[in-house]
Amino acid sequence: MVEKTHDVNQWQKTLRAVDPRSMVILFLILALLPIFIRNEYYLNILTICLIYATLATTWNLLVGYTGILSFGHQAFYGLGAYFSAIITIKLQLSPWLGLLLGGCFAGFLSLAIGIPCLRLRIAPYVAIATLAFSEIMLVICRNWVSLTRGEMGLWGIPTFSDFSMLGLFDVKFSGGAKISYYYVMLAIFIITMVVIYFQLSTKIGIALKSIREDQDAAASLGVNITRYKLTAFITSSFFAGVTGSFYAHYLSIIEPGAVFSVAEMVEVVAITLVGGIGTFLGPTLGAFTLIIGLEALRMVADYRMMIYGATLVLLILLMPNGLLFGLTRLTVKISNMFRSK
Amino acid sequence: MIPFSILFEQLVNGLVLGSMYALVASGLTLIWGTMKMLNFAHGELFMLGGFGIYIGMVSFHLPIWLALPLVMICIFILAALIEKALISPLLKRPDWDVSAVVVTLGIGIFIQNFAFKIWGGDFRNVPYVFEGTLNFLGMRLAWHRVYILVMTLVVLVGFWQVMKRTRFGMAMRATSFDADTATLMGIATRRIYTITFGLSACLAALAGTALAPIFSVNPWMGLAPLIKGFIVVILGGLGSFAGAIIAGFIIGISETFSVLFLPSGWKDIISFVLLIVVLVIRPQGLLGKKEW
Repeated sequence: MVEKTHDVNQWQKTLRAVDPRSMVILFLILALLPIFIRNEYYLNILTICLIYATLATTWNLLVGYTGILSFGHQAFYGLGAYFSAIITIKLQLSPWLGLLLGGCFAGFLSLAIGIPCLRLRIAPYVAIATLAFSEIMLVICRNWVSLTRGEMGLWGIPTFSDFSMLGLFDVKFSGGAKISYYYVMLAIFIITMVVIYFQLSTKIGIALKSIREDQDAAASLGVNITRYKLTAFITSSFFAGVTGSFYAHYLSIIEPGAVFSVAEMVEVVAITLVGGIGTFLGPTLGAFTLIIGLEALRMVADYRMMIYGATLVLLILLMPNGLLFGLTRLTVKISNMFRSK
Repeated sequence: MIPFSILFEQLVNGLVLGSMYALVASGLTLIWGTMKMLNFAHGELFMLGGFGIYIGMVSFHLPIWLALPLVMICIFILAALIEKALISPLLKRPDWDVSAVVVTLGIGIFIQNFAFKIWGGDFRNVPYVFEGTLNFLGMRLAWHRVYILVMTLVVLVGFWQVMKRTRFGMAMRATSFDADTATLMGIATRRIYTITFGLSACLAALAGTALAPIFSVNPWMGLAPLIKGFIVVILGGLGSFAGAIIAGFIIGISETFSVLFLPSGWKDIISFVLLIVVLVIRPQGLLGKKEW
């Protein structure tokens, strides 16, 4: 029994650790997918999977690696979306610049709630304070009609402009070319993963881990808690903002309820937990599983969300450490079976 | 100058709203106190209370004194079953705090869509428990609001006395203070968890039955009280029963008075800003214990 728990801990450690090889393999698979899948409808779903994979990975950086239980991640997603939409509509800036500025705006505003949260030591306080922040953003967005058009939402948000890649081939965004959007979102996803990978595999990662395990011990050993916590907060919010900005230019229509809603947060929490919280690739696996699963459930229209809710409960009860962990254990078991024979 | 009668009316509205927040939040704080988890299905239990009273009073034409206890018993049994089947297997896990969030979220999503499937998305109206208005010093006051205030007062004071005086209340407090020691002293902590969860669900459902005639009943009515309930619980200090009640009234009254100064769309911002400001000044909430 002791040996078994030791085994479990060992696996968990391996999955927590960021393995560059499996990350590169994942990127390659995702980059090659459109060769086999050309259907616009499927490409749209894959793009949505990538949006949620990015959101869940950035949330996981906060919760799984740093121990900041944030329930306000949708605020940064929404801020990025609205900021980028407004500057591209009103100032006629390029949507490409909007991606970057949307992320910067979200990262900057994350300090407004990140700094007050530093003093809160019990997880639910942080959770509800961040939730309150995102609800404040929702109320502002609904009522500042002259800027955001309120409940009516913003429409006619400019889409990305076509360009020619090194003079070799044209990248088209006009006329609903879903494949270009897929690759833009994939690029955002890859950059996010790589940045978080470098953060976690350097000194910052060790500091974050020590903060999660025991904040007071870390502080007594000279870890600058404020700095590292805020670094994690800003990184995570920046990429959530970039993703939100992408969403705005992808759909070219946004409304407050769609981006700032608690439902977005629920989705991200569920994805991360189902995939495996605190594992590097778990949230991505969770995003693809749940989003594709939810889409497949459209066949049973009326029962869709009921089945979804029940599945969440069962997955957490039966696979407490997440899908990634469960699947790894299964493969190890099967390979052991073959080896012993 | 705002006439006195309007101020008085707003005060009564604030007290009614505040008493509802206090009911919902005291259930949440009770669960945190004993089980150390956030229950995200709490809003859906509120919603089931609303539907329960609708079925009892409109579909079966039962009088309130029969319908209300029936709804409470059903909700208690349902919540106890949920706890036994789905929550108690999670209790001793290391990642307990976050996995409980997703499990209760999943339960909430299920209940909400179950309600939508069975009862549909119509907004249903429930008759007032007490019709008519009370005329008092030239001010008019709906009897239903008086009923809500009195009922909340009776329930909360009764609950407080049970916690304070009975053996069961003592066992509950011991469990929330230190579950392991309580088990060693011979308290069946698992049973305490189940009963606590059931009682907490009843508090939410009771608020649902009381508000059903004022706001109409529909499957999505649970979200707003859930978020407000969490805000109230944290504002009052997590785990503090008195804190939840005081914070409930503070938020209820400040929200209704804000209508006099702010456009109604901005009303919801009050509680959120209030929470963040209080947490900046007092990180443990109004009556919370410092846990470090």
